[in-house]
Amino acid sequence: MRIQVKRTGGFAGIDRHASVETAGRADAQEWHDLAKQAVAAGRQTPPIGVPDGFSYQITVDGKTVYCSDPRLTEEQRKLISWVLKEGA
Amino acid sequence: MTANRGFEPTFCTIVPPHVLDTLARSDDPALAGPARRTLERDALERTHRRLTTVIGAPTLAPPEALADQPNRTIHDARHKQDLPGKKVRGEGDKPGKDATVNRAYAGLGATFDLFLKAYERNSINGEGLPLNATVHFGEDYNNAFWNGEQMVFGDGDGEIFLDFTIPVDVIGHELAHGVTQYTANLTYFGQPGALNESMSDVFGALIKQYTLGQSAADADWLIGAGLLAPRVTGKALRSMKEPGTAYDDDVLGKDPQPATMDDYVQTGRDNGGVHINSGIPNHAFYLTATALGGNAWERAGQIWYDVLTGGELDSEANFSDFANLTLAQARATYGEGEELQAVTKAWEQVGVLTA
Repeated sequence: MRIQVKRTGGFAGIDRHASVETAGRADAQEWHDLAKQAVAAGRQTPPIGVPDGFSYQITVDGKTVYCSDPRLTEEQRKLISWVLKEGA
Repeated sequence: MTANRGFEPTFCTIVPPHVLDTLARSDDPALAGPARRTLERDALERTHRRLTTVIGAPTLAPPEALADQPNRTIHDARHKQDLPGKKVRGEGDKPGKDATVNRAYAGLGATFDLFLKAYERNSINGEGLPLNATVHFGEDYNNAFWNGEQMVFGDGDGEIFLDFTIPVDVIGHELAHGVTQYTANLTYFGQPGALNESMSDVFGALIKQYTLGQSAADADWLIGAGLLAPRVTGKALRSMKEPGTAYDDDVLGKDPQPATMDDYVQTGRDNGGVHINSGIPNHAFYLTATALGGNAWERAGQIWYDVLTGGELDSEANFSDFANLTLAQARATYGEGEELQAVTKAWEQVGVLTA
């Protein structure tokens, strides 16, 4: 499973993106569960944001959903920080 | 910007925005143009819905609030993302051990002071709105934002950004989003969005200058000085004096801000480049303020403030609309003098056409 996160906006207006391929990872199941829940709670189009807030685009195996700060689910928050931290 | 709205081919209603985003950056104008316009239109409408909802909420000052005193409350999210978090300092409470809390408290006070003393505005809404902020939001959180009701500050990750309460202009920037929300309510997309961002940079910079007692000539005109971690090659996030020169770093890339309309950036990202093209009106303000000399919050700031809050500025205003209002305001307040001349030359220099 390939998980991509793209972040735009923010006070600095600087984009960040990263992706993780879960195949072969010992914690793959954990990633899959998290990704499924994060995508299920996402929107089909970018939701309402706030001034200087981050907007996110999460793509899991080709399916893309959107979410924005400060209204993320716990799973979205966890997945986003995980991918941006560990992904390349 | 929306003049062609009715003539757009039914190109994109089912195309996902990320595809539009890629298309919008295409070298082929036949692909890029419609995709970009669709992205702009979609985001414009979404943002518009939100902002009209947000501004509808009335806020009453608590009876104990004095007209000339701020009413500040600082909360601590304790590295979670639940707002507002635990209350850690209220108005009049003594400083505690947490420097971040103390900086936020002082920064809210500095912002309140500038608006009250320079422009006779009682808090963000002009009616004594309590000022609420949350610090230590999230873990290694590289951002600060205004959520429509309060300010939120992250600690930064220490790698790229430090604590977002460090620069007082960042605190002022977030609060100024509140002022804009309660006044012109500029739509957070495209040119009105870049104006919204520019208002926050202008008043953020003025709050810093007012606090330090700096004249326009002495000020650094930087936004976010002190925010970048030591390893980052750069001096701040934005420069009003020289847009595009604030940083040039391996990880962050190069400051993308244009100073003039010749380099205006068309993009669907960042709400249509609100943090990018704000460089143009930012530079116009800098040029006006330095041409006039003295304290920037006095004449230049007064003109900008009066336009923002005067009721004539449309929520969908573009750069030219705003520029024309600053000319009219300069004439109305100061007559046919050096103020009008400075404003006229500033917009000319950044390439924004005026009537």
